[in-house]
Amino acid sequence: MSCEQSLRVQAYFDGELASDEETLVVQHLAQCPACRELLADHERGRTLLRSEASGMRAPAQLRARIASALDAESASVTRGASVARNPARPLRSRPFWLGALAGLGLSGIAATLIVLLVLPMAAAPLVDELVAAHLHSLQPGQLISVLSSERHTVKPWFAGRADVSPTVADFTDEGFTLAGGRADAVLDQRAAVAVYRHGPHTINVFTWAESRAVLPHAQMRRGYRMLFWRSADLAYAAVSDASWDELQKLERLLQTRSETEQRPNPRRE
Amino acid sequence: MSETRRHFEAQVLPHLDAAYRFARWLSASSVFAEDVVQDAVLRAFRSFDSFRGGDTRAWLFAIVRNCHATTAAQHRKRVFVPLPDEAAWQTDSTAENDALARDDERVLARLMSALPEEYREVLVLRELEEMNYRDIATIADIPIGTVMSRLARARAALKQLAVREQEKTA
Repeated sequence: MSCEQSLRVQAYFDGELASDEETLVVQHLAQCPACRELLADHERGRTLLRSEASGMRAPAQLRARIASALDAESASVTRGASVARNPARPLRSRPFWLGALAGLGLSGIAATLIVLLVLPMAAAPLVDELVAAHLHSLQPGQLISVLSSERHTVKPWFAGRADVSPTVADFTDEGFTLAGGRADAVLDQRAAVAVYRHGPHTINVFTWAESRAVLPHAQMRRGYRMLFWRSADLAYAAVSDASWDELQKLERLLQTRSETEQRPNPRRE
Repeated sequence: MSETRRHFEAQVLPHLDAAYRFARWLSASSVFAEDVVQDAVLRAFRSFDSFRGGDTRAWLFAIVRNCHATTAAQHRKRVFVPLPDEAAWQTDSTAENDALARDDERVLARLMSALPEEYREVLVLRELEEMNYRDIATIADIPIGTVMSRLARARAALKQLAVREQEKTA
């Protein structure tokens, strides 16, 4: 029932893998029913928790208590520097974090994840270009050149206008509606950009040909989240103000789709 | 208001709801959660000078967790109260369908309270607060490998409880 890859599948679900490792997991998922089931379980569990457990807020009286406690604290600090600071043990600030980080190295199974933590910022210009392109696209009239939720319209539109032919699909049922596409200059190429809507969020998915071994890791730039992955010989970057988990879900959907497209099947379109 | 105080409020107080939720799921009681959060915010304020940037929320959560551990040790003998009690869920409720939602929430709360605290902790940090493994490892003070295996066990345990719940109501 449970597969030895299950922790990897979980790490994939949690968006903790580097893009080359993700590719391996996606390939594994294609062949392993147990892991596909596990992924679906994770998805259901998350939905359950998020839909029902996220509404709790700090009561007003707690906020009031904290405000007056801070008042008292500030007053006592300004009155005299020698006020007894705290009967409780002072918090370990630095050593605590360093200690926790040192603990990371001990764990064999997570060793590959460390790659994520120490990856060089190989592609600062790329990141800047992408966020600039994203910002530009949000200006009126710039977002979409071909307006369609039909991938059979969007995908052929890229031919001749972009240098690559990416995986494009409408995932309205999963919450990501294909809104259209455009072509943007990225790294001196004409990148294909598929535009998705997710609730109030706009997600630009850039695709370009990338020979470098290492893509930038997921990061925030100017308040926008950027998530990178690789599929076939193409690099993808999703840029949006949507949450990490939402971006990762879209990535999973696109990865799975591209996996099915690559599988040889003469009877497919 | 002092400069430090203004800084502190701007940086730390936006995470108060999240800190309270975390304390709430950890401590299984609204009264204790409030004490824990108040204590944690005060401690955070006192050590704010030594906080050199980084993720404010993770920093605050680590303090909340410490305070919770202290409080829990002091009250080890108290009776376990399933969380969350109704009162706290009502504090901010305005919508009509809240009554329905609360029913579901109570089911989830019952399932969650059946889990060991260490499972609840990683589930809340990952699924509700959307923290990455590294931050969870830092807050829970365990290696990343343990975060992964614990999260896997916690998810499996929650699923099992949910399935059992479904069979019961079906």
